[in-house]
Amino acid sequence: MKCLLYLALTLFVSLHSFAQSNTVKGAVTDDKGNPLPATSVVEKGTPNGTTTDQNGNFTITVKPNAVLVISSVGHETTEFQLKGQTVVSVMLASAGKSLTDVVVVAYGTQRRTTMTSSQSSISSKDFEGQPVTRIDQALQGRSSGVQVTNTSGAPGSDVRIRIRGANSINGDNGPLYVIDGFVGGDFNIINPDDVADIQILKDAAATAPYGSRGANGVIIITTKKGVKGKTSISFNTRQSLSDVIKKYDKLTAAEYAEVVNQRRQLTGTDPYYTAEQINNFKTNPVKDAQDEIYRRAAGQQYELNLSGGTDKTTYFISGGYQDLQGVIVGSGYKFYNIRSNINTSLSDKLSAYINVNAFVRNNRNTSLRAGTQNAVVESVAWSPSVNVIDADGNPVKTDPLGAQFYNPVAEALHREGLNDNYNANIAGGFLYRIVNGLTFNLQYGVNYSNGEYRGFGDKYVAENVYAGRSTGTSLTLQNINTLNYKATFNGVHNLDLTGVLELQKEKYSGFNIDVRNLIYPAFKWDNLRLADLTGAGAGYSNASLFSLFGRVNYNYDERYLLSATIRRDGSSRFRGDNRYSYFPSVAAGWVISKENFMADQGLFSLLKLTASWGLTGNQAIGAYSTLSTYASLNTTLSADGSVPAILIDRAANPDLKWETTEQKNLGLEMGVLKNRLKARFDYFTKDTRDLLFWVGLPAYTGGGAIMRNVGNVQNKGWELEISGTPVVTEHFSWNSSFNYSAVNNKIRTLADGKAEQTWDSDIGWGATVYPEYLLKVGQPMGAMYGLNYLGTWKPKDEAEAAQFNEKPGDSRYQDVNGDHVIDANDLTIIGYGLPKYTMGWNNTFTYKGLELNILLQGVYGFDKLNFIYAMGMTAYGDFRQPTLADIKNRYVPGVNETSDIPAFSTTNKNYVQSSRFISKGDFTRIKNVSLAYTLPKKLIRNIADIRLFASVTNLYTFTKYSGMDPEAANTGSGSDPAQSFDYGGYPIPRTFTGGITLTF
Amino acid sequence: MKAIYSIMLIATVAGSFGCKKFLDEDPRGLLSGDAAIADEDGLNAQLSGAYSTLIGSWDQGFATAAAIASTMGGDDVTTHPESNKADFREFDQFNVTSFNARSVALWNGCYKTIQSSNNIINNYATTAGNEDNIKQIVGEAYFLRAFSYYYLVRFWGKIPIITTEVYSPDLLTVARNEITDVYKLIEEDLNKAKDMIGNTKLSSGRINKGTVLAYLADVCLTQTGWPVKNSAKAAEAAGYAKQVMDNKATYGFDLYQGGFLKMFAGGTPEEVFALQTDGNVTENLFYGQSGQPVDIDGWNDFQSEINFFIDFPAGERKDATFLTSVEKNGQTIQWQNFELKHPYYKKFWIQDGNAYTYHSKNPIILMRYAEVLLIYAEAQARSANPDASAYNAINAVRQRAGLGNLTAGLNSDDFIKAVIQERAWEFAAEWHRWFDIVRAEIVQEANANRHANEISLIGNPGDQSKWLLPIPAGDASINPNLK
Repeated sequence: MKCLLYLALTLFVSLHSFAQSNTVKGAVTDDKGNPLPATSVVEKGTPNGTTTDQNGNFTITVKPNAVLVISSVGHETTEFQLKGQTVVSVMLASAGKSLTDVVVVAYGTQRRTTMTSSQSSISSKDFEGQPVTRIDQALQGRSSGVQVTNTSGAPGSDVRIRIRGANSINGDNGPLYVIDGFVGGDFNIINPDDVADIQILKDAAATAPYGSRGANGVIIITTKKGVKGKTSISFNTRQSLSDVIKKYDKLTAAEYAEVVNQRRQLTGTDPYYTAEQINNFKTNPVKDAQDEIYRRAAGQQYELNLSGGTDKTTYFISGGYQDLQGVIVGSGYKFYNIRSNINTSLSDKLSAYINVNAFVRNNRNTSLRAGTQNAVVESVAWSPSVNVIDADGNPVKTDPLGAQFYNPVAEALHREGLNDNYNANIAGGFLYRIVNGLTFNLQYGVNYSNGEYRGFGDKYVAENVYAGRSTGTSLTLQNINTLNYKATFNGVHNLDLTGVLELQKEKYSGFNIDVRNLIYPAFKWDNLRLADLTGAGAGYSNASLFSLFGRVNYNYDERYLLSATIRRDGSSRFRGDNRYSYFPSVAAGWVISKENFMADQGLFSLLKLTASWGLTGNQAIGAYSTLSTYASLNTTLSADGSVPAILIDRAANPDLKWETTEQKNLGLEMGVLKNRLKARFDYFTKDTRDLLFWVGLPAYTGGGAIMRNVGNVQNKGWELEISGTPVVTEHFSWNSSFNYSAVNNKIRTLADGKAEQTWDSDIGWGATVYPEYLLKVGQPMGAMYGLNYLGTWKPKDEAEAAQFNEKPGDSRYQDVNGDHVIDANDLTIIGYGLPKYTMGWNNTFTYKGLELNILLQGVYGFDKLNFIYAMGMTAYGDFRQPTLADIKNRYVPGVNETSDIPAFSTTNKNYVQSSRFISKGDFTRIKNVSLAYTLPKKLIRNIADIRLFASVTNLYTFTKYSGMDPEAANTGSGSDPAQSFDYGGYPIPRTFTGGITLTF
Repeated sequence: MKAIYSIMLIATVAGSFGCKKFLDEDPRGLLSGDAAIADEDGLNAQLSGAYSTLIGSWDQGFATAAAIASTMGGDDVTTHPESNKADFREFDQFNVTSFNARSVALWNGCYKTIQSSNNIINNYATTAGNEDNIKQIVGEAYFLRAFSYYYLVRFWGKIPIITTEVYSPDLLTVARNEITDVYKLIEEDLNKAKDMIGNTKLSSGRINKGTVLAYLADVCLTQTGWPVKNSAKAAEAAGYAKQVMDNKATYGFDLYQGGFLKMFAGGTPEEVFALQTDGNVTENLFYGQSGQPVDIDGWNDFQSEINFFIDFPAGERKDATFLTSVEKNGQTIQWQNFELKHPYYKKFWIQDGNAYTYHSKNPIILMRYAEVLLIYAEAQARSANPDASAYNAINAVRQRAGLGNLTAGLNSDDFIKAVIQERAWEFAAEWHRWFDIVRAEIVQEANANRHANEISLIGNPGDQSKWLLPIPAGDASINPNLK
């Protein structure tokens, strides 16, 4: 293999020296007077350039009347006219949301004006002083095209992040994270307080550089760096209190007792409760099981950072600690991290950098099992007439009427699941300025991650006390070599060339042990020997990726923009010809406002049109997916002792290849009234073909699934971002930014020319015999599958009902094929789980030292399958009796014959998989309201900046959803075909936070 | 420029592991492809796998009340009239839809066992190891495949015959095979198994040659009735059963006389075929709470039908079969005062250790020696006449039950009726009753005598289309040819 080909990248440019006449010395500072190191200083119209040293100083030899173009990440690019000066001082304004700043792009930086891609930015300023405990909270509502769904309200738990919709049916649709140049990082490990800048790469021109990992969009996170000069120490703390927002409306003990008796009467069974008992319930109510599992949860968070620099070296060192309780008793999250970002100049040309981030995360009972054994579900299932806690304060073991054997409090407190993550991410390297304009960046990265799970269930949750432990370690090694050349010819031809060679190797190994019948339960997972072994396993996998990438950016006078990229990825996961793939992109832009005919108008400070096309991929498959495999297990062939056994697990498919997404984008960007109002509009289509798909095999073939490249999914949509400063006076200003995105997802083809294919969420087990989702050509992913509920049979329908062996008051379903039997042939699409529209509106009002921030967030165009409600109304699964108050509104012959909640009847058939339990999920949320106050410096004798803030998260939600929260769901971040399935999702709390930041 | 070269050198070194080997996969620890059953130990592990899916917990095989529920069309078992037992009730009410979540456990378990068996049968020729040992393994695989198809064909009738373990797309469109073709395969497999398997069970949960002969007898007898109705099979059935009876000592089988109830705790010579659990990696989940009354926190999954109990002849067997009272708070409650006013089954009471749990390590007894005797008696009467040997066979069972001998001198029809009735008492709640009333075409009669307190019927037991289950909706949706 010609693996050294990349060296040729060094040959694409020949170097010139230029006739020069004046040596100019200068200093560059930011708007606060701090020196700006590593700032690019280029003589306009030439390739001649340099960068500033650690003190922000530079020396350059140029023509006497040259114009210097000075640019630095995060700052306004400035053109400075020398007019013969030889000693100059330049101040760069902080970019904020400026349209002319330099931004981080894939494998480099670029001036925003010359960009042809669709990329959104979030700066730390956008969420400073708000209670952001994790990166996803910074993303939510603050950028177009990004959908952040908190499927769980537990601290530190799962979140679903999608950029421009979901492309893949089987694979992960989460974006790729690039953290300080490390490709494929984990956003969970980043303390938001360490973040300087977040870039969201959306179209193919932006993401194609990441090739086989770019299809879901890319999020580039850059952490803070130290600046030379005065050392700064910053400390901040936040204290919070959270409460559950809503609970299910359950029957009272007395009502429930009556319901139980009425149901029994129907089947000729004696009443369970006597009239006396029922009366007693009225005077002595039983505490709602829901009140036993929810609590007011406290949270605390501390962060200390130190930054500064000497002549040659800058540093940013921080440590953070979070301890957040969950609103369900027994759940919580802790986070510890330490970061050290160091840059140093070794010579004029060579600098070295290293970013080290280490963290520990402890999750305790933050992921709820869907359905049974879930505290949220069991708290609704538990009979309202039965106490949850006995006189001794222990969980009552059995509810004789309701939840079969899972006590909600026991589920929360006596079934323990601890997930501890230990992670270290180190990325470091050398930056070498070979000659003016030509730089080489050699970077190595290591990511170590160890996850340990410990589980335990005592006698209150399990007949046989069990414990288990598993651990998995993964190690990723990465080497990225980047060569970049920037030059300007004849003053108008700007060229930017990039070549990259990237190597990555990942290794995972892990094992697990499960036991039960612990002789000493108090030992929990710490002594697994004194118990019966029920399972043990070990796993190993490795994968590697070998990539080459090249990019040419050219523009004519920053007016006509052109960009082309190509990446070639080789992956160990595929065989033969499928191993290597090419991912190209091209883009063009026209800065109309730069045209002469626009010179005289004062309206548009910027008007730009861009268009792009490109291919990206998705490595939606795990290692070894091309092989047929066996499952290993233990079974018994006699009553004493077990034997090892194997079962065919999945079928081989050596022909697997990448999923490929073809994306087209049209963008219009404008700045009006000197950029006081800025807007960007994008229209895109994304066509994903060769979808990697686990095709479910029928049980009669042995079941399981085979992975195949089948089908085609399209996402089409538009995005709008508007930001501006509607009001600005001397002491008061109002900044507002609004974004709105629409994505239409559509399945275009499926396997073997099929028109439809079912998709099982595995969540409704025990209640749904049929897959809950349908993939159908022409329909979006996440289409819910079930019976169409037509309400109850009314008295006038008696004859028709009889044909179904039913009677008035019974459930009436649409008999699609008209055979008078309601069965699988009558299933149809009953709802759509994939949201279509997202909205975010962020407002900041500033008056002197006071700052008020209001963030609104909305998600629209989706349905939810409310399974708790379904179970609570139909007495299915763990629910043996209806427990919800809504059952009082049921059809009662002769009394309430208009109700569409079916009567208690021996002939009624309740199918939980029906439109009866579909509810609109649309919501608009007042996501956050924060008030911050910065104390005037004179008050505190200039010792420190003191900033105080108070905020409310999830203040109010406008929604018609029947469950606890329209966002909470049990289909986690990994599955897009199964969406919005709520069978005990961890409720999202309302949180009050107060905090203080001290900066010395 | 030196610095450039040194950096380039570092990069080159890094780049040099980017050669062909860099992208090779190394599936350490992952069992894949043909390597799995290349030697005898692997083949053995695959056979254990074939057994495992017959007891694969809630959603696979025979280990739960779902298997019993699938036979609730019989007059021996019923379930809770309301509560969360809707899927169970469908069987009892002759109203099963393809949606039914409970029948899929047997469908899934049997077909998974068939796949594992196919893997052994189709590939053992290249397996390295002791020839005799491999022969035994393959024989057991043939038996397990036949056993699985036997349950499938009786529950679902026309089913797809799958004899490959390898997935190919054409499997997604296969049609249902004729019932007679399924029986043909079952008999072929059992005949092969018979010649490959030794006389001794290698473990109590496995099989011996006697087991195979007993199932041959059963399969032949079943074919004399609905829907195959091949009366010529009766003689074969009698012949196979007789072989088992004549060699019962060789196979270690006998009618257990140490107490009727004790048999169900396991470990007796009565077990012709019993799957074994250890209560740890595998469990029997229909013993214990599953079939206990709610009065003692049971789940009420299944109970005896009232008239079945009333008509059941008194004696030791009746006392051992039914749970007619329980102790609660120091008081005895009789079944008439149970919440559901039904007697329950004592057979599945956990006799060893805590009885008030749903976890048990009891065996799942699929065929007892008593059945061999009753197969013989019936087959003999069907193929020849109820001679002394036939009387001896049924009377041995009756005597153990504490009953007198069957009335002498019955004609064949009456004798056969008596045997089928005897089977109902003897194997109450042991799955057989449903299959018996179907093959004898007495589903209607058996359900005519329903006590007023039973769940009311929805479907008509006389409707033959109700005697077979609809193909589970999940598979039928993937392969429309199964609908």
